[in-house]
Amino acid sequence: MPGIWIYSEDSTVARQLLTAGQELKKTTDQSVNVIAITDEAAQSLAGAGADKVYLLKGISAWPESYAGVIDELLKKEQASVVLIGATLRGKDVAAKVAAKLQAGLVTDALTVQFVNDAIETTRLMYGGLAICTEVVSLPALVTIPPRTFAEASETAGQGEIITVEVTNEDSRVVISNVCPIVREGADIATANRIVCVGRGLSKQEDMKLVEELAAACGAEIACTRGISEDYHWLPNDRYIGISGQKVKPELYIGMGISGQVQHVVGIRDAKIIVAIDTNEKAPIFEAADYGIVGDLYEVVPLLTAALQKK
Amino acid sequence: MQKLLVCYKWVLDEQDIKIAGDLSLDTGRAKYKISDYDKNAIEEGALLAELHGISVEALTFGTDAVKQSLKDALSRGLDKVYWIGDAASEQADAFVTANVLAAAIKKLGQYDLILCGEGSADTYSQQTAPRLAALLDIPAVTFVQKITVADGKVIATRKLGDCIEEVTVTGPVVISVLPEINKPRIPGLKQVMAAAKKPSEEVKVSELGIAAEALTAKVRAVSRKGYVMDRKKVVFKEAAQADNVAKLVASLAQHVLEERGS
Repeated sequence: MPGIWIYSEDSTVARQLLTAGQELKKTTDQSVNVIAITDEAAQSLAGAGADKVYLLKGISAWPESYAGVIDELLKKEQASVVLIGATLRGKDVAAKVAAKLQAGLVTDALTVQFVNDAIETTRLMYGGLAICTEVVSLPALVTIPPRTFAEASETAGQGEIITVEVTNEDSRVVISNVCPIVREGADIATANRIVCVGRGLSKQEDMKLVEELAAACGAEIACTRGISEDYHWLPNDRYIGISGQKVKPELYIGMGISGQVQHVVGIRDAKIIVAIDTNEKAPIFEAADYGIVGDLYEVVPLLTAALQKK
Repeated sequence: MQKLLVCYKWVLDEQDIKIAGDLSLDTGRAKYKISDYDKNAIEEGALLAELHGISVEALTFGTDAVKQSLKDALSRGLDKVYWIGDAASEQADAFVTANVLAAAIKKLGQYDLILCGEGSADTYSQQTAPRLAALLDIPAVTFVQKITVADGKVIATRKLGDCIEEVTVTGPVVISVLPEINKPRIPGLKQVMAAAKKPSEEVKVSELGIAAEALTAKVRAVSRKGYVMDRKKVVFKEAAQADNVAKLVASLAQHVLEERGS
């Protein structure tokens, strides 16, 4: 029987997708089922309102190794819609499954709904310059970024858990040296205030200016891609943009940032955007709530001093 | 390791696309470029080829305009480019693109390593590498920040947001690379001149024996609109920066600063 299927190797993200699945269920009356690869995730999702949870148990613990098993299960179950968490591992699995099913896949959907027996999604393209509405024929796969939907609550029900022993080893592939990345400082993705620096800063020693402003307003420090990838003045997990972090702070203060679309896409969800840059024609001022045209070396110390007084 | 292949996409430069008053996209003045992320894939292919003394070829699928990419691509260290220029690419989604690329690769022969960028600069679907691997029935290693080739094996270091892991693959593999893996070269006059003498070859979709259904997109765009933010766009323009800063702080006080410590 056709159904809505959910998969993420991250059970928190899977619970967020469950909310999206329940929304779709309202318009189609199809069951909402989950594919899990850990006992803990299967329990949590069955309790959070999934109709059915398939718990896949293979020897390899590498989440990507389940792609071949997931596509067979989805084919057998005649899945009509598959929502997959748009983590990097999830995107990898989703594309492999889509290829095997010869199905369409929308990456990083912002919205997803049934329209006329197909799935309609919106997503960004051209580095965040444009929003694209797309129609996907069924079966349709969609990846949805973490935190797009609220987590389904634990109280909703007790779905059936079906455990399936699967073969997911691949003798061609060996995984080793799995190391968690230790972040230096807080995670900017969840920071409430952010001071962000771009190439307008002329040398690394001047990071002091940025640090002082950040301290004065209780903000985390972030940067554009050039500052981390080309100059290595900050770690890569500090850069904001289409291929970096997406942030949602109450306050974002950008300095020496021209505002290329690839950067601005990462700050769209900021509540207030402040821009300081010498070039009054810089696109950042079109994306900002408040702007000061001027040399950051003059403006930033003044701003730091003013904030310290408060 | 004998043969390397890099896949790249020829895309509109989004910096040239203007958003009109009705939010429609004006691509009239947009020039094409090699997708930025694919420049990293080309560079990695060129570096590996130079290091191991082997050849590196490239494959691209686009409209007829893709021919314009050849000189730029070949000046970046590639030995040869196979290009597929077909109107089918205009409506192609990742499903169609991967089907065409996979069919072409099967026709061109065995490659030990196929490199892609992590996504394209226009649609950024990030699907091509894993789809290709699934269609070719070989492993994919995505989001790679370092590649080493030793003892006939490829060792790829992946970076996945919260973790780094090493994947060792025996036999052919598709790898998508992160931008941080290298800094693409800027071709000099010598490289550009040499590119003119390097070979390129057209591959026709009609020669690849692809079923019509596999050339029909599963994902169809119904609208594309400029994505504009609703922002206040207040720029303070007093002569003295101290006055501008005072006005900024006063404005922020209304919105966010009073919440400090709460």
